[in-house]
Amino acid sequence: MKRNVHWWLLVMVAVALLFPQLSIAHGVDDSTKQFLQNNQGVQFIPFMYIGAKHMVTGYDHLLFLVGVLFFLYRPRDVILYVSMFTLGHSLTLLVGVYGDIQVNAYLIDAIIGLSVIYKGFDNLGGFQRLLGYQPNPKAAVLVFGLFHGFGLATKLQEFQLPEEGLLSNLIGFNLGVELGQLLALMFILLAINFWRRFDSFQRFTVATNTALMSAGFMLVGLHLTGYFLG
Amino acid sequence: MNMNTLQSKSALLKASAVSLVTAILALVILILPAEYNIDPTGIGAELGLTVFNQAPQVEKTESPAGKHAIEVTVPVGRGIEYKLHMEQYQTVKYQWSTDGDAVYVDLHGEPQGDTSGYFESYTIASVREMNGQFTAPFTGSHGWYWRNRSDKDIKITLSIEGDFVVEGLKN
Repeated sequence: MKRNVHWWLLVMVAVALLFPQLSIAHGVDDSTKQFLQNNQGVQFIPFMYIGAKHMVTGYDHLLFLVGVLFFLYRPRDVILYVSMFTLGHSLTLLVGVYGDIQVNAYLIDAIIGLSVIYKGFDNLGGFQRLLGYQPNPKAAVLVFGLFHGFGLATKLQEFQLPEEGLLSNLIGFNLGVELGQLLALMFILLAINFWRRFDSFQRFTVATNTALMSAGFMLVGLHLTGYFLG
Repeated sequence: MNMNTLQSKSALLKASAVSLVTAILALVILILPAEYNIDPTGIGAELGLTVFNQAPQVEKTESPAGKHAIEVTVPVGRGIEYKLHMEQYQTVKYQWSTDGDAVYVDLHGEPQGDTSGYFESYTIASVREMNGQFTAPFTGSHGWYWRNRSDKDIKITLSIEGDFVVEGLKN
């Protein structure tokens, strides 16, 4: 069994080395920026690609998904929760960009950080312990999904996208986001379900979710600082 | 859903406190210095993390016969700007042409450090090519704004010669 863990670690390190982009900052890189600024008309596949890339490299979205999936192992639950999240973020992504709803990117990113704290705290049993009852986790995923969608929208709204072909491009971007999410989900589920077979999963439950909360606090601090600096 | 909850309120508070303190330490020591150049402890600078935010020094090395040539595409209905940093009274000789239709051009300059949006135009025209030279009336950012009002993408070839530092394409 121990040997397996070593192999797994090796695979993870290899993946990390092969995709250095996964570890760099979560934004839009220069070549994508240039594409978005010069874009014209319908560019379905490129927008889909940007969406997928944004999700796969978007550690804030991924941390939230790790938190959501941490205790889910039945396929039915996984599908249900992921659907709630997808429904939430697709709605605000489409409505936000198409309806030209301006939200402050820093505040939205801070709220996304808050969603990570919330889920980590929830996984620690915090609400039951503190409030004596469990807020509906499905509703929470849906509501935070709405905020994640606004976050995705602000990334596109930084660029004045031409009206021409906007809806098609948006749908392409959204579809890409879902494909990227699916890809990321496979890795997250594979890793969590593999780990679940070991005793260490139980032993590190508290540590993992504490770390998750901590990462959420970092995101909130980072983006609130950005907000106050203007 | 969560079968593995913490056994006591104090354990919960401890976990929350640990996560918050870790986050604050990471923010203050590492993240804020690297992201925003805010470095209350000085550790960020010691570690070299503040390099990301040191303002890019515009190179002041003036090659007496600086030469530069670029090709840019102006998409249909869009405008692009290509700028040079020039000191007051520095001169640039330029020549550019399109691969097809005429393009709207505004050759202009913005004073360094100006935030009011002020600019001074030296030439405004809709043409297929242009040759000339201009002397910067003030230190700042000088260059061309091209706008494509035709129904085809337009490629522009520009060559410049003189005293300048390339700033490049602007939004």
